[in-house]
Amino acid sequence: MIDHLLAAAIVFLLANLALGLWRIWRGPTTADRMLSALLFGATSVAVLILMAEWQAIPALRIVALLLVMLAAIITITYAGISRASGSSDQPGGQQR
Amino acid sequence: MTWALMMDVSLAIGLLFLAWQALIGGSLLRGIIMFIVFGMVLAVAWAWLGSPDLAMAEAAIGAGVTGALILVAYWRLKRVNAVEPADPSPLRSGVALVVAVLGTGLVAALGLASVAALEGEPVAGQLLNEALPETGIGNPITGVLIIFRSLDTLLEIAVVLAAYVAARAALGKRQVDLPTPSRDAPLMTALVTVIAPLAVLVAIYLLKAGGQIPGGAFQASALLAALGVMLVLAGRLESTLAVSLWVRLALIVGTLVFCLMGLGVMLFGLPLLAIPGTWAVYLIEAAMMVSIAITLVLLFAGSDGLKGVGR
Amino acid sequence: MNLVELVAAGLLVCGLFFYLAGTVGLLRFPDALSRLHALTKADNLGLMFVCLAAALLAGSLRAALLLLLVWLLALFAATVSAHLIAQVSLRSQGQALEPGDEGGAGGPADGESGK
Repeated sequence: MIDHLLAAAIVFLLANLALGLWRIWRGPTTADRMLSALLFGATSVAVLILMAEWQAIPALRIVALLLVMLAAIITITYAGISRASGSSDQPGGQQR
Repeated sequence: MTWALMMDVSLAIGLLFLAWQALIGGSLLRGIIMFIVFGMVLAVAWAWLGSPDLAMAEAAIGAGVTGALILVAYWRLKRVNAVEPADPSPLRSGVALVVAVLGTGLVAALGLASVAALEGEPVAGQLLNEALPETGIGNPITGVLIIFRSLDTLLEIAVVLAAYVAARAALGKRQVDLPTPSRDAPLMTALVTVIAPLAVLVAIYLLKAGGQIPGGAFQASALLAALGVMLVLAGRLESTLAVSLWVRLALIVGTLVFCLMGLGVMLFGLPLLAIPGTWAVYLIEAAMMVSIAITLVLLFAGSDGLKGVGR
Repeated sequence: MNLVELVAAGLLVCGLFFYLAGTVGLLRFPDALSRLHALTKADNLGLMFVCLAAALLAGSLRAALLLLLVWLLALFAATVSAHLIAQVSLRSQGQALEPGDEGGAGGPADGESGK
């Protein structure tokens, strides 16, 4: 019974990810796309934790740990490149 | 429809869709984020296929390092040419079609071959399972990498070193600029301060655990490399062209220890590249971990060395 | 199904609810900052419930502590990520990384920059 629930939960979370994909596709801003990447990170971690129970592979918890430790790299890079391209000699977009 | 089949189908469709979206164009940045997300889903797919070793490597490399690498590449591209091509769709090119057909053919051939191989007797797996208990190593993957196919692994680590030498030779004495970190983000500094020691701890755990359960030198070095990339991007490590003996030593120690061990055992009458015991496995893996990690970070930073930035 | 499994099942369903809430927020909220708010909070709460359920099912202290560590790190990483994305989002008026950014972060951001 609990096995069925775990499997259903994993499939549910994967479906959740499929919905989040729409926000990457649609945008409209880069921040929105980064947010969806955050959603994928957080959901993948949950999926890995549940798979560790469902398949009885404890090492998958370590995979979840790695994913969660390194999740911030992408946003740190994004913050860095946004800042650096803002201060460079690029023509500004729409000024208010 | 069983749960297992549902997971197979959703992961397969999801991966194909993400790969397609990453390549299709429209917006370059969208493609990049699709690719980053593809890496995360791929890690889940490896986990689902019962390969935690591959899932660990994919989580560290795919979701961590390559994402940062491609984002930085995008940023440099924008500085060279600020105007993004209107539609960088690869489908418009005739060459792309040929490549796609050939690629699909290759994947299909490999897939059919591996399905056919499933039906025969699992000779290699059988031999491995029989020989493994004598070695004292419980993780078959570490056993194959270090003991049974040590020449392949030695060549792999030599390739990593060669890649670095080639990259440095191509770049010359130019310093590559990296996106300047936002120094007014105090939380980021705190996060990096927490993650750095933890990542080193987990890397050492992976190295040690890799002898018996999933883990090993490649996973540990991928994690350390990702940590190094994070430190560079957060402005805690700065690339420098100054040559340091320690960095040079760290770059070659993996190849060096592996070669010396492989030759040294011949003095005791063992064949070339024989592994004298579990201690040798851990020694080689530790040296490889250091080398691969430092090589990947230096490749990312495009530099000869790294120095800490005080605060 | 024994009591532990029943409790774990309840926690798991709670977790899934929060994940769904986070995704609905990401899809339905009007601007980047509110979406950020919805997603990072709800998903971390969801992860807490999922970790609790998994720890109960695993039934070992070691696994439970590891899952606690995963959750704490996720909280910290999500906080920092949200902070960084919000900072960029607020500043990015006029300095676009891609065409869609030119409109800025939307509602609250526009209000503040108009001061």
